[in-house]
Amino acid sequence: MSPDTEPIRLARKFSRGAELQSGAGRVIYLRERSLSMLKKEIVLKNPLRLIGGEAGHILPKGGFGAVLARAGVGKTAVLVQIALDSLLRETNVLHISLDQPVSKVCLWYEEVFNHVGKHYQLNNTVDLWDAILPHRFIMTFNTEGFSIPRLEERITDLTEQGIFYPQVVLVDGLSFDQEVRELLNEMKLVARENELKVWFAVRIHREDISEEKPVPDNFMNVADLFDAALQLSPQGPQVMVNPIKTPGELDESISLYLDPASLLIKDGQPGE
Amino acid sequence: MKPDIHKTRNIGISAHIDAGKTTLTERILFYCQRIHSIHDVKGKDGVGATMDFMELEKERGITIASAATYCTWKNHEINIIDTPGHVDFTIEVERSLRVLDGGILVLCSVGGVQSQSITVDRQMARYKVPAVAFINKCDRSGADPFRVIRQLREKLSHNAIAVQIPIGLEANFNGVVDLVTMKALYFDGDSGEKIREEEIPADLMDMVEERREELIDAASMYSDDLMEQALEGEVTPEVLMEAIRLGTLERGITPVFMGSAYKNKGVQPLLDGVTKYLPNPADVANTAVDLENNEEPVDLVTDSSKPLTALAFKLEDGRYGQLTYIRVYQGSISKGDTIVNARTGKKVKVGRVARMHADQMEDLDKLAAGTIGALFGVDCASGDTFCSPDVTYSLTSMHVPEPVISLAIVPEDNKAQINMSKALNRFTKEDPTFRTKVDPETSETIISGMGELHLEVYVERMRREYGAAVTTGNPQVAYRETITQMSEFNYTHKKQTGGSGQYGRVAGYVEPVQGEDFVFESKIVGGAIPTQYIPAVEKGFQSCMEKGALLGFPITGVKIVINDGQSHSVDSSEMAFAAAARGAFREVYNKCKPAILEPIMKVEVETPPEFQGAVMGLLNQRRGIILGTQEQDTLCFVEAEVPLAEMFGYSTVLRSSTQGKAQFTMEFASYRKAPQSVADDLIEKAAKEKKDKAKVA
Repeated sequence: MSPDTEPIRLARKFSRGAELQSGAGRVIYLRERSLSMLKKEIVLKNPLRLIGGEAGHILPKGGFGAVLARAGVGKTAVLVQIALDSLLRETNVLHISLDQPVSKVCLWYEEVFNHVGKHYQLNNTVDLWDAILPHRFIMTFNTEGFSIPRLEERITDLTEQGIFYPQVVLVDGLSFDQEVRELLNEMKLVARENELKVWFAVRIHREDISEEKPVPDNFMNVADLFDAALQLSPQGPQVMVNPIKTPGELDESISLYLDPASLLIKDGQPGE
Repeated sequence: MKPDIHKTRNIGISAHIDAGKTTLTERILFYCQRIHSIHDVKGKDGVGATMDFMELEKERGITIASAATYCTWKNHEINIIDTPGHVDFTIEVERSLRVLDGGILVLCSVGGVQSQSITVDRQMARYKVPAVAFINKCDRSGADPFRVIRQLREKLSHNAIAVQIPIGLEANFNGVVDLVTMKALYFDGDSGEKIREEEIPADLMDMVEERREELIDAASMYSDDLMEQALEGEVTPEVLMEAIRLGTLERGITPVFMGSAYKNKGVQPLLDGVTKYLPNPADVANTAVDLENNEEPVDLVTDSSKPLTALAFKLEDGRYGQLTYIRVYQGSISKGDTIVNARTGKKVKVGRVARMHADQMEDLDKLAAGTIGALFGVDCASGDTFCSPDVTYSLTSMHVPEPVISLAIVPEDNKAQINMSKALNRFTKEDPTFRTKVDPETSETIISGMGELHLEVYVERMRREYGAAVTTGNPQVAYRETITQMSEFNYTHKKQTGGSGQYGRVAGYVEPVQGEDFVFESKIVGGAIPTQYIPAVEKGFQSCMEKGALLGFPITGVKIVINDGQSHSVDSSEMAFAAAARGAFREVYNKCKPAILEPIMKVEVETPPEFQGAVMGLLNQRRGIILGTQEQDTLCFVEAEVPLAEMFGYSTVLRSSTQGKAQFTMEFASYRKAPQSVADDLIEKAAKEKKDKAKVA
């Protein structure tokens, strides 16, 4: 059964139930199901699980993941979906943005979350949102002001006072055009020490890729540090999500794409 | 001077607190020769700035009420509304923006775009007010106007384009280069009143060329003539100015001026900019609704010969009696005219018409279309529309936020009691976000508003302006109650004792609803409840929403559906069905698992990075969810959502833990379910208070 059909069936049942509300038969309303059930359901339906194996965790602790795409194709949207997946598992996410203010990052989350809510036809999104919000922390830095010692200092500020213990870190806006190996090595140490799973958005350029060389050099130079990588490739009006590296064996049969309207990751072929 | 609508400007000056609005206004009035000497905010001469005429404002160095004033600059008549910079007084800013045609957004060249600038900008966008920006304090250490321009683009999405560049910065700030006329401007004389025009210093030429090109690029989008001239390589100032004006009117360009009001530099070119780029009343489209024609929108024309439509946007009780600030959109108001208050339908005869200059006034015979002035002795509320007796137009109502905090006040003696009533009567008319009521249980007077400071200022004004000394209780947060699950009801109200009987049965279900306070739906078929009683059932349920059983706060987010019932041919009545509805709700409420909602404030703290940890710790202690931290140059911003109940006394604690270097702003964000432990405490406290009161009684 496709993930889409289940909520539709339940919704139909719900609307029939609403007509029968008084007396007769007691209906289990979709909205009455507990939040944890709801979270589990969304996590189970997330197409990302196809890459992550049974447990759905793509990265090991201390591991690095990358989302590669050209500007404007949907890197941040995918990062935010990875974050939402973690948030729904009650995993703390630290979102580091080097080029967008906090308010803009918040908007990304609200937007993607609303699309998820619509997609799964959720009614009590307010409660769900309130439940996941404490697990998210956004930090923004000026690109030139970002360094690993500075980040460590900020994380220590949070953990020492018991404010926030990050488990998954997203880094959006870091330029891979310059030499980043040293910074990534430093970050790797921090990630291993704190058992963090770190995802990076990697911006690539049209001229750096070709049919013969689908993955650009700026990433290939540091690819050994990464456990997983997803590349977003526009194909006509569609954007395909191609796993180019996964922790286990790469399953060639997986087909994921970004829905052009909502930028949500879906499995199958576009238009199916 | 003969009024010429094309030479009138109604502008507001808005910005973050301490960005220097009042100082700028003071300088504008000085250069327009409305005042003959300059007094600074918190000045050593003890006189205070002219616009801050309330005693309290002078003392606190903040502008509380928006004082309206007018001045003339190069044959143009400028009406200025000075607006407060603190979020607690946002209604003042909103009201000003409603009646203005253009705005000056004042920004500090060191602090840049701060949280209040963002709030003010959102408000400007709501009323589509075109604006020019003035980057003030260019003489301050750390000044960087171009960083502020970047922030205007990034944070506020303005297409901010410099029309000037500074000559020197910080202590070396000497003047500005006008990129339109390509002249360097210096400000000489004791108060910068003499403008010296010179050639552009050679070392600035590269930057000037680069910035001018940017300006022409942006402005050419709005003018084909400019585009042509730019391609030919010869741009005339007149064509460039007109293109900038068109871009500004569309809110497509925000021209950026620079200067230092305190050091008397850059103010006159800003005034030129106001007259050149900001709209005159005829440039702005205004609409009203026709109350007699199904509230159909009516376009207003800035023409004094048309029927009058004017908005009372501010009331004041001053030394001249009640003063009503009014903006005339269409038609005119003359002494002796009879005008109608569209809300009440009452006719009013206009006694005196005046034009205000802070706390001084000038009598006028007539207020023409598009101008701002004041009327005396007119009884009305803020936000009322006045029109000619032959039309019933109403200007769309202003957006008024709900108050989030309350305070009990008790007059200290009998005299204070009388004065307090007078004061409260005045304040509620002046400020729609300030509310007052008497608690029927405690007989205490409760005042409500938008924040601690908002209420504090009114209590202080009561004492100073009305001689009403009052004791205040602890601030009370405006909680709400809601339900969390659906439940069914089936209730019969039956009374047979003495007189005519009462009978009504209502059945259905109650369920939570998002985004609405109260929804009522009738699915009654076959006349189980006769149609004429259904409104009474709705009324009965609605009356229960006023006070929840948990804490006694209003209930929101409730949908009631009735689908069955029963009536009696003799004993049923509206009263019986309303009572049945009340009984049904009382019975079902606890089954719906009621919960307490608390107001959550969006708090933004601005701090040097070394105190970031401490600031986050403080917010965390107050049950705050930190949304994020943002590092920007030498400052760090922490954004959080914190329950209002936890924010009392925060400013003092923040000051002491950051050596006074951090500041914060907060505004209402939403209502959110209070955690169970907090809700339990509140319920326990409310029950105890109820018990204590019963004992006293």
